[in-house]
Amino acid sequence: MTTQEIAVTSEIEVAEASRTNLWRDAVARLAANRLALVAILPIVLLFFIAAFGPYLTPYDFLAQDFTARLVSPSSEHWLGTDELGRDVFSRILYGARTAVSVGLVSTAISLVVGLVMGSLAGYLGGRVDMLVVWLTDVTRSMPALLLAIVINLTLKVPLEAWMEQMYLATKNTFFRQTMWVDLVLVFGALALIQWPGYARLIRGQILSIRSRNYVLAARALGMPTGRILTRYVIPNAMGPLIVAVSAGMGGAMVLESAFSFLGVGVQLPIPSWGKMISDGLRMWQTHPHLLVGPAVMMAVITVSFAWLGDGLNDALNPRQWGG
Amino acid sequence: MSVLLDVQELQTRFQVRKGYVYAVNGVSFTLEEGETLAVVGESGCGKSVTMLSLVRLLPPAASIENGKVLLRGEDLLELNLRQLRDVRGGEVGMIFQDPMTSLNPFINIGTQMAEPLVYHRGMSKSDALARSAELLEMVGIPDGEARLRDYPHQFSGGMRQRVMIAMSMSCEPAVLIADEPTTALDVTIQAQIVELVKELRDRSGVAVIWITHDLSVVAGIADRVIVMYAGYIVEEAPVDALFEDPRHPYTIGLMGALPSLTGETGTRLTTIGGSPPDLVDLPDFCPFHLRCPYVIDRCRKENPMLEVVAEASERGHRAACWVDIREVNIESNAGAASS
Repeated sequence: MTTQEIAVTSEIEVAEASRTNLWRDAVARLAANRLALVAILPIVLLFFIAAFGPYLTPYDFLAQDFTARLVSPSSEHWLGTDELGRDVFSRILYGARTAVSVGLVSTAISLVVGLVMGSLAGYLGGRVDMLVVWLTDVTRSMPALLLAIVINLTLKVPLEAWMEQMYLATKNTFFRQTMWVDLVLVFGALALIQWPGYARLIRGQILSIRSRNYVLAARALGMPTGRILTRYVIPNAMGPLIVAVSAGMGGAMVLESAFSFLGVGVQLPIPSWGKMISDGLRMWQTHPHLLVGPAVMMAVITVSFAWLGDGLNDALNPRQWGG
Repeated sequence: MSVLLDVQELQTRFQVRKGYVYAVNGVSFTLEEGETLAVVGESGCGKSVTMLSLVRLLPPAASIENGKVLLRGEDLLELNLRQLRDVRGGEVGMIFQDPMTSLNPFINIGTQMAEPLVYHRGMSKSDALARSAELLEMVGIPDGEARLRDYPHQFSGGMRQRVMIAMSMSCEPAVLIADEPTTALDVTIQAQIVELVKELRDRSGVAVIWITHDLSVVAGIADRVIVMYAGYIVEEAPVDALFEDPRHPYTIGLMGALPSLTGETGTRLTTIGGSPPDLVDLPDFCPFHLRCPYVIDRCRKENPMLEVVAEASERGHRAACWVDIREVNIESNAGAASS
């Protein structure tokens, strides 16, 4: 086949796909975007590691080997060991778990809160709208890291005390695991920081879609409100939302690393890339391997989410479907 | 012919920060079965708001303050929302100005066209799709069945307007309201759309209300014409009478602004100086007096009522003007805005 023929057949394929399904059309567009395709690989790998990390690690992430402290990368320890003789590679794999759970859970919480608040504001308007906008403005006016530090400092002690009480009352060992306190606080702080972004996006989407001509046309055809919302308003609001979620996942992971870096994130012993970076920074001149591993992972994942978000934006943007 | 739609003293206003904007002020007209009524006037004169008021598709800030909209004797303004939905799409079809944005980009044409048929006519999805394919062919889109699976972005502007027309006509409404359906299209497509609506009208006997600011379209399609200005009907006449014997200065101004194929070349088109008044208060003067070359003292003190000025047909030729403009000789209306 000549290149021309290939071009023709691929055009036909794109046309065939769009004939059957708009989502398939979007997937075809995404697949045509090399950058987005490249980005999918590390993201898939990240989720795989997060799911199966414990079975892949050569060492326990907690196992300390005092005979092999701060060793450089070798065949025994691929990425070397840290101050306490723990295998850096294993800790990075475990750190993926923190990153993914933070990304998924905090994004899910803030998305649900943002969806509810944003659509209420968009549909109902009036006082509800004013209240939601005011809430988002107040939340966004506070610096994210400061807010996280305040939450951590004020809520951690009472939450731990409550967990202790629950343990004494129920004798359930679940309440003894203080790492849950950390996770809950980190998820909560991230969700609190992120929901206004989603709420604003959805409110804006619904406001703009409500005034679109096709909504007016659907009303003029006598379609009931519920049908208009589910078939006309919500599907048209999805594109930007998917993009925002993709970008938000990467953002949440970076934020969590920043929290850990500043000491208000996930506390030891659960490995977190941010925490590893902040620990490694103290002796990066003598032992750069402590910094490089987690920093490179962080960078690759963040850039991948950004690229994927960008590719999704192009694939789902209705303005580019025309012609 | 019997009266299909009888609009009486319709008044719609918008709430704004400082009070109200009076968009439609006591508009009354009738539409007979199978008749085509054109509504003309410049932007902001209340054409669209009047028509949206008929089926209460107004934005939240607008409210209908007064009037009756009798469709076969039933007041649409008294219906509850559920009954009103049956009227919308079922009895009254609508086409809008911008076909590029009037279709949902996420749903294919077939599903979109089938919705009103399923909803209003209780058809099964497959029957509705088959009917939609027929409708597409009827509005001049070949290979209708295959195109049902296409999405709006795969149609051109003129084709989308054809789809819109097919959708609005799908439940065989008694009235089709076309709100400047050709404004966003280029001239050759405009002519095709006008022809299509005429053809459908002649075939189905639907009564058409055609909103436009293009008098050349009016001449081709309408039986009667309503000229609106500042929320008032200023002239109403059968189409021939309006073009041959216009009685309101505004109508004359509109016609002066229309290029003619037979007139001398090289002459400038006349314009109507100034702009419409702010509709923040109900005027106690003629709303056109600041732009009117025929203005007399009375125009500044009293707002003229719509009155019969000639017996052009059994329903007459009505105009709202204090002056009988045939008796006044005026060179041109340029420079009328000497406020």
